[in-house]
Amino acid sequence: MMEGACIKRTRKSINIFNTTEEMAPAYKLTYFPVEALAEPIRFLFSYGGIEFEDFRFDRENWPQMKPNMPFGQVPVLEHNGKVAHQSIAMARYAAKKAKLVGNDEWEDLEIDAIVDTVNDLRQKIALYHYEADAAVKESRKEPLFKETLPYYLQRLDAVVKANNGHLALGKLTWADLYFVAILKYLNSMCGGNDILADYPNLTALKNTVLELPAIKTWVEKRPNTDM
Amino acid sequence: MAPSYKLTYFDGRGLGETSRFLFKYGGIDFEDVRIKKEEWPQWKEKFAFGQLPVLEHEGKQVGQSIAIARYLAKKVKLAGNDDWENLEIDAIVDTINDLRLKLVPIFYEQDEAKKKALIEVASKETLPYYLPRLEAVVKKNNGHFALGRLTWADFYFATISRVFLHSFTGSDALADYPNLKASRQKVNEIPAIKKWIETRPD
Repeated sequence: MMEGACIKRTRKSINIFNTTEEMAPAYKLTYFPVEALAEPIRFLFSYGGIEFEDFRFDRENWPQMKPNMPFGQVPVLEHNGKVAHQSIAMARYAAKKAKLVGNDEWEDLEIDAIVDTVNDLRQKIALYHYEADAAVKESRKEPLFKETLPYYLQRLDAVVKANNGHLALGKLTWADLYFVAILKYLNSMCGGNDILADYPNLTALKNTVLELPAIKTWVEKRPNTDM
Repeated sequence: MAPSYKLTYFDGRGLGETSRFLFKYGGIDFEDVRIKKEEWPQWKEKFAFGQLPVLEHEGKQVGQSIAIARYLAKKVKLAGNDDWENLEIDAIVDTINDLRLKLVPIFYEQDEAKKKALIEVASKETLPYYLPRLEAVVKKNNGHFALGRLTWADFYFATISRVFLHSFTGSDALADYPNLKASRQKVNEIPAIKKWIETRPD
């Protein structure tokens, strides 16, 4: 029976490069089992269709891992035998690979500046959330919620309004993905509220990014974590 | 002709000095606007997020000291040759900035007892953690902070370290770190930088 017969070849039989059937991704991202500061990198690799190993270690292993990390921190990114660190630096790198950067140096400056501003907000929120002394933490609560959050969110909302629904350049850039990727983390540090509730343009941006097909796919398949 | 760049910062070195160094290194003319502390309240609202430094060019205005420095570094050819090289530079700059951020609360603490406690933590934990590791990076990189050669990361450390390491320890925090000291010295001896240091207003 000739018609309908098909010759099935396994990848091994035609594979002249002596590779294993599945090659490891070129990138390995290592982080705690949460979204937080690694999520922008995960979003960007996903958007760019760049395969990566999303390695999440068990928290109890962190003490032994920490001394082996550059400056004792994660996330770290391994590629071609090299190890990189610093979440925003790595996000910027992933953004270049995913082609979500500017067209020239000034455009990249505009994106960098708004990402750093979002990061400033994150740091101010973190100063409250991670404060170990309960009395000090309580004293930081009102200034954070009554002054700092409104100061930043009003201005970021205005930036998005002036930029056609985006954080920079009037179009989708890695600043948009960066912001949306850390939102769950920011919300959890603020006690679980939706900090964007009063900010329509930022809320619309969140939806824009979450509805990008590659991001939607990633969000559906990623492990479900609280922050 | 007016310079095409205007850099606005306070009348001091702080977070503006890295960019001033980069402008001078590249021989790029810029208007060096310095705002006096007492005048700041009426200026603050002119800037999108109420912070300095701000860089103006061709009618546009942008803030964030490290972003500005990265932009200028590309203009004066002190950046990396590819995306991974730039990642390495960015990462060490962010690490130096992390160190700066850990020390900054000392400057703002008004309570003497609390300030003393913060200095204690900085001297016993923060600096002994960061400085030996930065020293190792510079040793491994041929006297530089990244890529085994001069990049804007060297400029960043040279300017930031002067401001943030010495102001509170009262002593030379880099005394035990010859590679860090040498790197800063090398930057300060670049002819254009040396000239700037001799002639700068503060």
